Amino acid sequence: MITIENLHAQVEGKKILNGIDFDVKPGEVHAIMGPNGSGKSTLSSVIAGHHDYEVTEGTMLLEGEDLSEMNAEERAHNGIFLSFQYPVEIPGVSVTNFIKTAINANRKAHGLENMPANEMLKKIREKSALLEIDSRFLSRSLNEGFSGGEKKRNEIFQMAMLEPKLSILDETDSGLDIDALKIVANGVNKLRSKNNAIVVITHYQRLLEYIVPDFVHVIFDGKIVKSGTKDLALELEAKGYDWIKELA
Amino acid sequence: MDFQEKLLASHIAFEEEIDLTDPIHQLRIDSLETFEAKGFPTRKDEDWKYTSLNTLIRKDYALFPKAETSIDLQKVKKYFLYEIDTYKVVFIDGVYSPFLSNTTHDGLDVCLMSAALTKSKYRDLINTYFNKIANQGDSLTCLNTSYTREGAYVYIPKETVAEKPIEIIHFSTGEEKSLWLQPRNLIVVDQNAQVQIIERHQSLKEHDVVTNSVTEIYAHQDALLDYYKIQNDLTSASLIDNTYISQDKNSNVKVHTFSLGGKLIRNNLNFYHKGEHCDSTLKGITILEEKQHVDHFTLVDHSQPNCESHQDYKGVFTGKSKGVFNGKIFVDRLAQKTNAFQQNNNILLDDKATVNTKPQLEIFADDVKCSHGCTVGQLDNDALFYLRSRGIPEKEAKALMTYAFANNVLESVEIPILKKRINLLIANKLGVNLGLGL
Amino acid sequence: MAYTEEELKKELETKEYEYGFYTDIDSETFPIGLSEEIVERISAKKNEPKWMTQWRLEAFRAWKKMDEPDWANVHYKKPDFQAISYYSAPLKKDKYESIDEVDPELLATFEKLGISLDEQKKLAGVAVDIVVDSVSVATTFKKTLGEKGIIFCSISEAIQDHPELVKKYIGSVIPVKDNFYAALNSAVFSDGSFCYIPKGVRCPMELSTYFRINQAGTGQFERTLVIADESSYVSYLEGCTAPSRDENQLHAAVVELVALDHSEIKYSTVQNWYPGGKDGVGGVYNFVTKRGICHTHSKISWTQVETGSAVTWKYPSCILKGDHSIGEFYSIALTNNYQQADTGTKMIHLGKNTKSTIISKGISAGKSQNSYRGLVQVHPRAINARNFSQCDSLLMGNDCGAHTFPYIEVRNNSAQIEHEATTSKIGEDQVFYCNQRGIDPEKAIALIVNGFSKEVLNKLPMEFAVEAQKLLEISLEGSVG
Repeated sequence: MITIENLHAQVEGKKILNGIDFDVKPGEVHAIMGPNGSGKSTLSSVIAGHHDYEVTEGTMLLEGEDLSEMNAEERAHNGIFLSFQYPVEIPGVSVTNFIKTAINANRKAHGLENMPANEMLKKIREKSALLEIDSRFLSRSLNEGFSGGEKKRNEIFQMAMLEPKLSILDETDSGLDIDALKIVANGVNKLRSKNNAIVVITHYQRLLEYIVPDFVHVIFDGKIVKSGTKDLALELEAKGYDWIKELA
Repeated sequence: MDFQEKLLASHIAFEEEIDLTDPIHQLRIDSLETFEAKGFPTRKDEDWKYTSLNTLIRKDYALFPKAETSIDLQKVKKYFLYEIDTYKVVFIDGVYSPFLSNTTHDGLDVCLMSAALTKSKYRDLINTYFNKIANQGDSLTCLNTSYTREGAYVYIPKETVAEKPIEIIHFSTGEEKSLWLQPRNLIVVDQNAQVQIIERHQSLKEHDVVTNSVTEIYAHQDALLDYYKIQNDLTSASLIDNTYISQDKNSNVKVHTFSLGGKLIRNNLNFYHKGEHCDSTLKGITILEEKQHVDHFTLVDHSQPNCESHQDYKGVFTGKSKGVFNGKIFVDRLAQKTNAFQQNNNILLDDKATVNTKPQLEIFADDVKCSHGCTVGQLDNDALFYLRSRGIPEKEAKALMTYAFANNVLESVEIPILKKRINLLIANKLGVNLGLGL
Repeated sequence: MAYTEEELKKELETKEYEYGFYTDIDSETFPIGLSEEIVERISAKKNEPKWMTQWRLEAFRAWKKMDEPDWANVHYKKPDFQAISYYSAPLKKDKYESIDEVDPELLATFEKLGISLDEQKKLAGVAVDIVVDSVSVATTFKKTLGEKGIIFCSISEAIQDHPELVKKYIGSVIPVKDNFYAALNSAVFSDGSFCYIPKGVRCPMELSTYFRINQAGTGQFERTLVIADESSYVSYLEGCTAPSRDENQLHAAVVELVALDHSEIKYSTVQNWYPGGKDGVGGVYNFVTKRGICHTHSKISWTQVETGSAVTWKYPSCILKGDHSIGEFYSIALTNNYQQADTGTKMIHLGKNTKSTIISKGISAGKSQNSYRGLVQVHPRAINARNFSQCDSLLMGNDCGAHTFPYIEVRNNSAQIEHEATTSKIGEDQVFYCNQRGIDPEKAIALIVNGFSKEVLNKLPMEFAVEAQKLLEISLEGSVG
């Protein structure tokens, strides 16, 4: 699905990623863990194509295609989805209107006509049920006045609607109480298939109890310093992050 | 001869009394020419749409007060912050009163404009600061400049904290039946210096007095200035206050204007930012009755990035009084990351009272946070009912709520005794008995 | 790689006005200049009754004594009023029985604009009265309206067929001497629309007029009069596009609305006159006077989407004369390149328990200047007047300006007035969020601007709202903040 080799990136001249290597195959779930400031969120922004981040070295291939030539929306058209740690508010634009615009933009990029209204409606109903989203919620302005849980649920709802190949969930568990966490995790699990892949970025292993990863990577100082199975997450939980700093 | 002509014609006589070699002689002449060309503003000028000077300038005024009048300290003590030690620059009918004053040259200068204008050691400062920030196209400012002779001169040197507040007080005695005063103040707060200033104009008996005052203030880098204007004059006294403030990098200037009395007051309060990270605060409480008229005209010129301004003006109007608020926030295209806020709230308590408010934003930069809000209304009926249901009579309940509405502007007053005084003034004005434990 | 804002801005700036074309229709045009003789000739040409001619002459005499106002926050070269031709009409002046008889080239023009009569006819219940260069050339749906007693025709026809109504109401809301442009319009207006809804009738369809400026150097002086009789309702749509020309064209329309007791008028405008090129050359001067009077328990609601014109000077207003009357003003004003707009409203509270709402959304891009100017006036007898105003500005880029000049004058202590204003920009994070969902930057900007304008767009009739959204999108091209 995605192959990243020796990825170096910087923001405003400050080096954040110092040679990331990692490979995700279809059907897999990878977790990326690490202390604050280790470069976890930078990695997600770089994959999504945020223009503040400059790739200075290395390659990112999505199903063999070079991502560096694509801008953010083209990466989205090719199936990359980022669930934002801090979803942005857009006043006056309803959740429905936004998702409609996004779906049709993606369809247009693939030479498809706009999705017929009834089909759209059906899909919205189906996916909002999956995440236990109330229909009143859909007419509210995007993320405006949303609680932390509503924002994250809305992100996963969009993921369900857009059906991406590679989803990156950036700190999706932050700001969620246990009930909201279960709903979100349950939604994500239902979206797992052998054709897509998910990268979960998190500080704590709490989320990984619900979204069980095939692989866990620990990132520190812009590098993956240790990889393993889900047991690594438990080890981190027990021992904290200090010991991995010595690995770096 | 109308009063404007008198002002023009009397200038020669004025000049005969002063030193023609002082550094601003030519400036006086030029300013008079500007005033002659422009005349007094009229309601046709957009900036004077809601305030007419006609009734004032139809009358005749003495321009040159008689020689020094003395007043009994006991009679005027209540106008000073007598509870605490302060520097004082006091004028009686426009003439300096050494008896009531308490000036200094010890580490800082708190003295007279006349001295600064005539003594050679101040010449450089006068050349650097005098009339540099004042609007040289404004006719009333020019009129003041052309007659500049007296006022307060304050200089706080670098790294100096003035230990006592400075009171600048102008008394008019009524010895002249009608009097036109034009004080001129210059205040320089040098780098990292701090000072608190209180300015007051007070007539001692009913008579026609008009003060056309100009104050120039320079707050240099990291300077801190708190300025309080107490406007609680008799109903025969009018004031046109022109204040110009220049702020350098990181400076913080707060101006509080308490307009609680007088006949006609016009406050032209102008802030100009000359460096980044300036902080400007403009607060006002206006409580008027009868036929009083107060016009607050503010300008904050955001010409530098990363500066902030906060404006909060509250007005309570009874009788046939008239309140005007005209606030202008200007954000230059260079002034990115500006935060500029303006709030004007008014309560009309009588059906003949009027409020005209015009909060303006002129914005040329995109990455800014600017907002203004204004309201005109009455006291909240539900809250009023709540108080009455607890047994507080309606009149008292209203007074209490009005007091609460106006009073929160006082929070930022830094001199405790002044805060207490103003608090009392407001309470008295609104008929609230503070003894109730408020 | 992703766009930088600068790159995007550059690319977008190369797009030109889509509707900038010129239709070649034979026209009869008067010699240029203005005099009593020309005023009389206009009146004679239209075969007007004597009172109308006299009314025009009175306006002309008043106008001669007036000065062009200069208080608005706009800067432009004042038009030479003697260098304008005051009358131009398509030569084929016959009335058309059917749409087939209309000049095919004209129809083609409307099709280019996406507002062909055919399309319009198909749109549910929209009757279209088209004004091309001043004279009405086609009216549809007249029959349906006729059955209800609704009069919807050109003002010239109304002067001939319903002189009693015109005489009673024309100039009753905007007196001939009201202002410079209104006086000029009163003297020389060529044509416009007239609408009368009888007592108790609810107009079953949206009434609609499309205006265009077509003739080079022709000033256009539309006159619209809408009268809603007691307990009636009408929704009126006005839309404008204009072809691209290099000379500055003057447009000084007058719109008068009369809402009698218990009636309601909704007046919606989409204005897209030629805004001038991206270098600031050309464009329409739009100096419009719009005002409505509300009698007891009546309501007037102005909704406008202003995207066009080089210079706009426009304040649709409500005189809330009757007790319990309501005035509303919803506005989106978008300026780009060198456009200048000074627009807003006046809400004059005279009656008791009168209410007004003002929602203004200003969007400035390019090197444009966008001003809101509004007056809320509460007179001493207007007990319990209520007003809520909200003015929001969105700045895109650092070469434009957004200005807010609200005037609030309250002379009654029972009034409740609230005014709020904010200024903001489009966040880069908002654009990136959209990008990440596959929405390109241009579309993202359009989406965010539409969101910003939503409260106003919602007030437009459905089919108009779609068109307005499209217009915002087109007008924004060339500007990303």
